[in-house]
Amino acid sequence: MKYRNPRIPEGINVSDRHPLKELLVLAGGALLLLVLLSWLLGQFGGRLARLLPFEHEAALAPVSLLSSDAGPELQAYLDQLGGRLGSQMAMPEGMEVRLHVSGGDTFNAFATLGGNILLYRGLLEALPHENALAMLLAHEMAHVEHRDPIVGIGQGAAIQLVLGLLVGDPNLAVLGSAGLYTQLHYTREMEREADTEALTAVQGMYGHIAGARDLFDVIHMQRERSGREEMPAIFSSHPLDEQRLEAISALARERGWSETGEATPLPAAFRRWLSEAAARAAEARAMPGLATSPSSRVGRLHRG
Amino acid sequence: MFDLIIFLVLLSLGYGVGQYAERRHYRSIIEREGRLNALPAIASRYPPIEPHYGQSLVIGSTVVSVDYFKRFLAALRNLFGGRVTSYESLLDRARRESLLRMKQQAADLGAAMVFNVKYETASISKGRGNTIGSIEVLAYGTALIEQRRK
Repeated sequence: MKYRNPRIPEGINVSDRHPLKELLVLAGGALLLLVLLSWLLGQFGGRLARLLPFEHEAALAPVSLLSSDAGPELQAYLDQLGGRLGSQMAMPEGMEVRLHVSGGDTFNAFATLGGNILLYRGLLEALPHENALAMLLAHEMAHVEHRDPIVGIGQGAAIQLVLGLLVGDPNLAVLGSAGLYTQLHYTREMEREADTEALTAVQGMYGHIAGARDLFDVIHMQRERSGREEMPAIFSSHPLDEQRLEAISALARERGWSETGEATPLPAAFRRWLSEAAARAAEARAMPGLATSPSSRVGRLHRG
Repeated sequence: MFDLIIFLVLLSLGYGVGQYAERRHYRSIIEREGRLNALPAIASRYPPIEPHYGQSLVIGSTVVSVDYFKRFLAALRNLFGGRVTSYESLLDRARRESLLRMKQQAADLGAAMVFNVKYETASISKGRGNTIGSIEVLAYGTALIEQRRK
């Protein structure tokens, strides 16, 4: 008997498929899966969060971040303006909006859990007239009305939780992290709906929407000046200001609203009220033992 | 961000060095297989009775470990299932290298062929999750050495 080993052709036990191609296909698939999973979870989390009654949402509000630096006059003026706008909007039963002013010079304003809206002096000082302020307030109030803050947090929490579990480092204290409240990101859809709602309210109140454009011009100018990093929350999910302004104009044409009109001036004492708020914030910062006074804390979180 | 950079550096390092080493190894394997082809390794347990051969145990052992790139690819493969091609080439090299080492040992003994050839593998990192996965591939058989007739 003759013994021999025949030569076995290559490529039977080994695939000749290029490893980089394999990596591309697999990594692409995994990424797609991850994106799909995140999206699904986000939707699910958002839906679930919407079911939370508003009274319970108020209990989750970051109260420590929200003590107001506004004096009684400024607060009364804002409350009055908010009240008038609220009567133009279809606020559900039992929903209450609370306005807070921070004396910090951050250029920002945002709505957070429990109907709390925080306005920063930095942004308020830049507003040319009451119509712009009304548009800003109405926009944030519309977020509250649509329950965008809790939906945003619900979406974020669901995604963070599961991705955390996948990576093996679940940050289960999702609602405990204060940063979340100021880093809320709304979808374009949410922003557009809030714009529409706010414009309707402003139109109902003044008979024209001239102030809305001015608000966005102010924000646009600030953005040009400071670069993208310090984008105010109101614009965070909108890389294209023009698109948004066009959408506003289109809506105005469609509904026959006037984009020009006489602007109502802000109260004569408005700037004084704001400097008083700034002084109050500075005082709180300077007080020993209160190093983490509410306003300064929010400001820091935002910048971080 | 820093972690990501480290990850990418390790990945491309694993790919570059791993692929280079693999290509070089395959070239060497194919060349040596050709050289040692005259010395057959037979799986049969029944060696020829005539002529009378002297016998000796010959073994060839290889320990292989996986590079970062292959490991990442295999981990991704775990998600979807299918051929883990990145490990296949690694183990193919280990098997052939072990057999070659065994044959080389037999050739050094002046053997005509190796009978009853078997493979075994042992996982070195078994049960320890965080260590680098490496396994031993062992090939062994009985070398038949032609006796000089007096």
